[in-house]
Amino acid sequence: MSIIAVFNIKGGVGKTAAAVNLAYLSAQDGAKTLLCDMDAQGSASYYFRIRPAKKFNSKKFLKGGKQIDRNIRGTDYPGLDLLPADFSFRNLDLALDRSKRPEKQLSRILKPLRREYDRIFLDCPPSLTLLSENVFQAADCIVVPLVPTTLSLLALKKQMGFMKKNGQNAGKVSVFFSMVEKRKKMHVETMRRMSKKKWVLPVAVPYLADVEKMGIYRQPVVAAIPRSAASVAYGQLWEKIRKILAKS
Amino acid sequence: MQEKNINRWLLPDALSPDQLIEKISRKYTIQTESSRNRTVTYFDSFDWRLYRKSFLLTRSDERWALRRRDSGRAVASIFEKDQGLRKFAWEFPSGRLANQLKKILGVRGLLALVTFDVYSRRLQVMNSDRKTIAHIDMIAQKIQTEPRVFYTIRLCGIRGYENITRKLARNFRRWGIGEVVSAEYLFKKGVAAMGRAPLDYHSKFSIVLAPDLSIRQAARAIFRQLLDTMRQNEAGIFEDIDSEFLHDFRVAIRRTRSGLTQLKDVLPPEITETFKREFAALGQVTGPTRDLDVYLLYEKDYLSRLPGTLRAGLTVFFSEMADRRHQEWEKMVSTLKSSRYRTIIENWQAYLDGSDPGGVSRHSEQPVGGYARKIIYRRYRRILKKGGAIGSSSPDETLHRLRIQSKKLRYSLEFFASLFPKKEMNRVIKQLKGLQTNLGGFNDLSVQQEMLQNYLADIRPGSRKNQDLAVAIGGLLTALYHEQKEVRRAFVTTFETFSGSKNEKLFSNLFG
Repeated sequence: MSIIAVFNIKGGVGKTAAAVNLAYLSAQDGAKTLLCDMDAQGSASYYFRIRPAKKFNSKKFLKGGKQIDRNIRGTDYPGLDLLPADFSFRNLDLALDRSKRPEKQLSRILKPLRREYDRIFLDCPPSLTLLSENVFQAADCIVVPLVPTTLSLLALKKQMGFMKKNGQNAGKVSVFFSMVEKRKKMHVETMRRMSKKKWVLPVAVPYLADVEKMGIYRQPVVAAIPRSAASVAYGQLWEKIRKILAKS
Repeated sequence: MQEKNINRWLLPDALSPDQLIEKISRKYTIQTESSRNRTVTYFDSFDWRLYRKSFLLTRSDERWALRRRDSGRAVASIFEKDQGLRKFAWEFPSGRLANQLKKILGVRGLLALVTFDVYSRRLQVMNSDRKTIAHIDMIAQKIQTEPRVFYTIRLCGIRGYENITRKLARNFRRWGIGEVVSAEYLFKKGVAAMGRAPLDYHSKFSIVLAPDLSIRQAARAIFRQLLDTMRQNEAGIFEDIDSEFLHDFRVAIRRTRSGLTQLKDVLPPEITETFKREFAALGQVTGPTRDLDVYLLYEKDYLSRLPGTLRAGLTVFFSEMADRRHQEWEKMVSTLKSSRYRTIIENWQAYLDGSDPGGVSRHSEQPVGGYARKIIYRRYRRILKKGGAIGSSSPDETLHRLRIQSKKLRYSLEFFASLFPKKEMNRVIKQLKGLQTNLGGFNDLSVQQEMLQNYLADIRPGSRKNQDLAVAIGGLLTALYHEQKEVRRAFVTTFETFSGSKNEKLFSNLFG
């Protein structure tokens, strides 16, 4: 059983696209997989055409147990379930702050699900907050999609600094390149410079309309257009992550 | 996508699959997700060992699956591209499936019982977001040799959308789809089309006799059933499916001979004499193959007793055995197919089916109950006397004779079991079984030692390989000898239990 968080402080870097496709590939392996949509925007839920129940909200999410159980939905794909996000999740931080041992709440909530699932993916909202701390605590592996630009590197440094300051194991972090445009010199240059670091996975998911169109056909790109260059890249990414999980 | 509430309904004749799809699509958006053709073959042993344990074994395309008889859910399965024929449990690749099969099938082989052509189509039921909220499997199954097609549907719910599943089920009922069928429903139809029915064969003998029958009528019914057993097993012997067809065939012969001897004066003397002689000959014809079958069944046991370095020699030994067995089997089959054998069987059948000529002797008109009591009790007293005389220095031969006597008692108890109270009868048989297990074990060990000694005598000294083999067999012999001594020691207490006053009272109450 492993928990994989897809995380980045920045928004719009391809987190949800990665989480959705990786979760799909995990289930295709035959592993019972759950994707937790923790982003109030609910994009992952939208991609799978799943709406949360009217009564579901952040309070119930934090209660865990039965509240979670009855809100999990089966996706259209064998072995893949999803816990949809509710708009109230935007206030998860405030709610967490009110609880005891606030940084360990997510681990507690996920604990009963470990029995039922082989892998749990967390699609995290962009930010660096108490919720992020919870995610770092709970996850066995933190996958960071990185757009190869200077500002993105800066954000990544902030994240690592934050993790170290809070006594988190930065060794859980694996980075891959996201929304890569080969024609941009800066992208190519940044990737070349970073490729030597051992926590950087040699995978570049290209910036393609195929991925953006997921919002239209509402399926993982790997399922909808398996021959797309993006699908191939997600496949490579999943292979690498699977190896990391096998080692840990 | 978790499948819950798997249900299977039989589509009524009045509702075609297309009509059903039309009805569903009036309420929901539906779409065919996938469809496929396959053939599914069901397997079991001749005596329904899997079915008896509530399982069905299927092979479809590349998958073998052991399924629950009710839900059809697979409890163990394997995929294999190579469609190699697998007959025995030990021929399956090791794993869950093989282990389960070994436990249940033992030495029995698998028979292909019936094959279906199956066309299945999976429909997606979707909501307004085009999210799949349930699946409906529509399955058309046709027994390969029959024209009729059976349509079943399965409703597979998706987690979080249980209310939809419930609504669909309600609609199905409204449309007249009411008959819920278990996985074995079509299996039964299929085997029926092949002329069989689940549990139509069991190697245990059982017959229900009306208490007002005369002993002659009862004897004819018993013999007829034994003859049925012989005939049921013929095909399996000719096809050489497993060792148990011949075994059951021989047991039926032995029971018949024992019946003819014990129920003397019941059938006309010339009939009794003729068939006693003929069935004795039949027993002899089938003996050598059975002996070799028994030796071959020891193979795994022996190999496991030997260190790896000595196994190769023993493998040679068993492959020689298998060759000899094949020769004997061919000889036996040609005898069993010969007109002479057919005539014996036909004559016996004709005699048993023919009109009952009525009384033939002063005994034959007695009511079955009294007669049964008399022969059972007499046999029991004899065992008490003979067994009681066996001491620690008595020759092995006396135990062998006692084994035969016990077998005869067991046969007569089984012939007439239905005439006596079930509970007591079970106790009597259980007691006797204990004694028989001991005596059977003793005999088994004698047979094995004899076989190994004969083989050892034939090994030519000289080569290193033969020397190793001889050492190994010597080792086996020693082990078997000690085991036999143990069994012999245990005989004393086993026999004491059997001949104890409690059991004696039971026998005298029932039969005395």
